[in-house]
Amino acid sequence: MHTKRLRSTMARGGAHIVLIILCVMCATPLFWMIRTALAPNADILSARLWPKHLVLGNFATAWHAQPFLLFLCNSLITNLVIVACQLGTSALAAYSLVFIPYRGKRLLFFGILLAMMVPMQATFVPIYSMLSAFHLINTYGALILPFAGSAFGVFLMRQGFLSIPKDMVQAARVDGANEWRILVNIVLPHAKPTIATLVLLDFVYHYNSLFWPLIATNTNNMRVVPVALSYFLTQDAGQTLQWNLAMAFDVFAIVPVVILFLLGQRYFVQGVAGVSLKG
Amino acid sequence: MSRALTGVLASQPRVRRQIARQIQSSTQGWFMMLPALAFLTLFVFIPMAYVVYLSMFQSNLLTPKPRFVGWENYIHLLTAPDFAQALTNTAVLAAGMLLLSLPLALILAMLVNMRLWGTRVYRTVLFGPYVIPLVGSGLMFTLLFNTDGGLVNRIVEIFGGQPIDWLGGRRSALAAVLILSVWQYTGYYMLVFLAGLQNVPQHLRESCQVDGGGRWSTLRHVTLPAMAPTVFFAIVICLIQTFQTFDQVYVMTAGGPDGASTTLAYYIFEKGFQMYDIGTSSAASVVLLAMLALLTWLQVYMRYRWVGEES
Repeated sequence: MHTKRLRSTMARGGAHIVLIILCVMCATPLFWMIRTALAPNADILSARLWPKHLVLGNFATAWHAQPFLLFLCNSLITNLVIVACQLGTSALAAYSLVFIPYRGKRLLFFGILLAMMVPMQATFVPIYSMLSAFHLINTYGALILPFAGSAFGVFLMRQGFLSIPKDMVQAARVDGANEWRILVNIVLPHAKPTIATLVLLDFVYHYNSLFWPLIATNTNNMRVVPVALSYFLTQDAGQTLQWNLAMAFDVFAIVPVVILFLLGQRYFVQGVAGVSLKG
Repeated sequence: MSRALTGVLASQPRVRRQIARQIQSSTQGWFMMLPALAFLTLFVFIPMAYVVYLSMFQSNLLTPKPRFVGWENYIHLLTAPDFAQALTNTAVLAAGMLLLSLPLALILAMLVNMRLWGTRVYRTVLFGPYVIPLVGSGLMFTLLFNTDGGLVNRIVEIFGGQPIDWLGGRRSALAAVLILSVWQYTGYYMLVFLAGLQNVPQHLRESCQVDGGGRWSTLRHVTLPAMAPTVFFAIVICLIQTFQTFDQVYVMTAGGPDGASTTLAYYIFEKGFQMYDIGTSSAASVVLLAMLALLTWLQVYMRYRWVGEES
């Protein structure tokens, strides 16, 4: 018995050690970003783990060097509208799939699965020419419209709705409520965790995504945060790049998602687990 | 049912009301489906079909009017060394993710599942990289991999090595992209595995231990078999994600040096957006779509077998 307990203690100790090492490895790039953002020019590529003099002014310089606030506003506006649109279209579609009996649902669900697998990287040429025919390139419209409907959103909402008892909806119908009122007053309030998950995952996904904004916009005024970040390397590339300012800018770009993640971690975890287990 | 009988039935008020209700609910169902369906049709289904159409034509800056060429673009892809290179690079990345990221994620999930003190903190830190924009982490890793004075080369120097031109080397550029991907995604797969582990019925594990099974044999004979669907799901998702690798390459290496780190998605972007070679780009898109379709089908099929009809 004694050896068993000893072995268990050792296993736990070993687990802690492995986890701590890997956590340190995970955090190192972030630490290095902050360290470099605070470093004076001379210390950027030095072997010093922590700069001798901290230059907080780097953040101010980076903030004024580029209109970060404009980029952030572009990102926030487009992403919030995308999330709102997806929430609306997905809730309606999922409600229809789960609670209304009609023919052709299997086909519709198959279509959703199909749409989920198609990445923008494979379809950007037709979407670009379509939007450019309507003179929408370099507008918020180009950034928002392609994502107003989301197969993933429908899929996730459907999963959340499936756990709501059908009897409840049936009872409301017998009481004479129409489908719209059932959705708004009964189903949505019971699906709050799913909604929170969708909102957070969606927002972070679109805030982070580079590919489509890179293609759909090319003016400074329309730049979103990831595109602005990518310009550090493609435009100021080479020796002239001031790494401490680039890293300060990187910190600005990352802070919003990190805050969202820390506040809503529960929902991120649920989102990942929900998609992998059920469905 | 004969037509006469149907007619008789339809004339019954009760049946008529039922049919009316069916039609009404069917209209309502499609109506609520409409917004999502319209956007998906416009921005997913039509573009997907149109890409297949475009892949049969040749158009570029020199010949702005598209010319029908049939299978020629695909034949060109089969023989183009740069496409073969892009496919190989994507396969290497995928293999690297499967062999490095997934096993590491499984081990981490088991460690995090041990109910240790501080598990929440571990989980947060390990999952954290997943929510950071790839462009942002790409920028960080470009600095870490900097030839003179980047942290990675400093560590190489400590061990007595010579500084390596990571992002400029033919092999090391792709390795750098892989390392970033492992850093970015391992926490995500850890959560996927963790969810799977927490779904393994506790009584199975206990009964194995009662029968004298040790930690190791419980793991081998109970936990891992019960995890099979989750592991399969993780493999498929990992492949799907890796096939779409773009941001890392765009930021860190721009596909270079000389195509050594060009992935399939980057190839499509380069051909279509930078060289205006729409035919080749579209044909490569169709190849990507076909690979993703195969994986999606496999996943749906296997899930159907494991979980059953209503899921």
